[in-house]
Amino acid sequence: MIALTTPYLWYATRATGIAAMLLFTLVVCLGALVATRVGGAFIGRFEVNEIHRSISISAVVFLVIHIVTTVLDTFVSTGPISAVIPFTSSYKTLPVSLGTVAFDLILAVWISSMVKVKIKNVTWRFIHWFSWVAWAISLIHAYTTGTDARHGVVFLAVLASTLAGLVALGWRIFARPARAAGRTALSPLAHAPAPTRTTAPSHFPRVPVNQRPVRPSQRGRR
Amino acid sequence: MGVIRRHGQFVIRVNPILCDGFGHCAELAPEIIHLDEWGYPVIEPEPIPLADVGALTSARYAERGCPRQALFIERVHEPGAR
Repeated sequence: MIALTTPYLWYATRATGIAAMLLFTLVVCLGALVATRVGGAFIGRFEVNEIHRSISISAVVFLVIHIVTTVLDTFVSTGPISAVIPFTSSYKTLPVSLGTVAFDLILAVWISSMVKVKIKNVTWRFIHWFSWVAWAISLIHAYTTGTDARHGVVFLAVLASTLAGLVALGWRIFARPARAAGRTALSPLAHAPAPTRTTAPSHFPRVPVNQRPVRPSQRGRR
Repeated sequence: MGVIRRHGQFVIRVNPILCDGFGHCAELAPEIIHLDEWGYPVIEPEPIPLADVGALTSARYAERGCPRQALFIERVHEPGAR
């Protein structure tokens, strides 16, 4: 019980919060790399995916410790309800609520990944896009709620996380995913010639429908 | 004593509608799955005995590592085998 009466819980809250922020930044960066199919020469694509999965699990563990210590700590009046429902904390209502919203979104992303086999891929991907929203909200939460997030090392950590995540988001949006996995360096086709263009050029002569040659299978339809 | 005899064989099957050509399976099970020119899997059609633990482990890794859950391991039941 010594932990409940001393500031150690508060220290644990702050430390795990910073750790979770850094880990979730790493997770979204790795997720961008997975989605754009980076990997092949130095690291396998499946390895990027596995690192993304495993670091996300450890990030959730840190986040849970962060929330549990916040709830247990008697210095701030943040109850267990405030962990899931926003605007119920009397201590720094708006900043804490941002963290609550981010936690709810992360929960949705996590659960959807747990039941990924059961749901449609489109649904999973739609929910997974919310991890970017959760990451952005959690950074604002870190900057506004953190008692030492305005200066020093923690400010640098927030700044570095923001920049890294923004670069990853730009990469995710603008980088062309390497769709042909056969071109990775691990594959036997790495040095094969690039596939020829399959899309028709714009000046491709368009033959009107009634002048096109009739196939034997279509003969009865005209 | 202590020997698990695995009878039967397995093949890996792919759902071509779900497959998006990530290419993780060929990295995880290179002895069973190759990639075609566009990055989609070309799977060894011959059934592999379940006793081939290395191949079965690779196949399970590929099944689990597929980002689209498009792979699955299917047991082949031969009428004569036991």
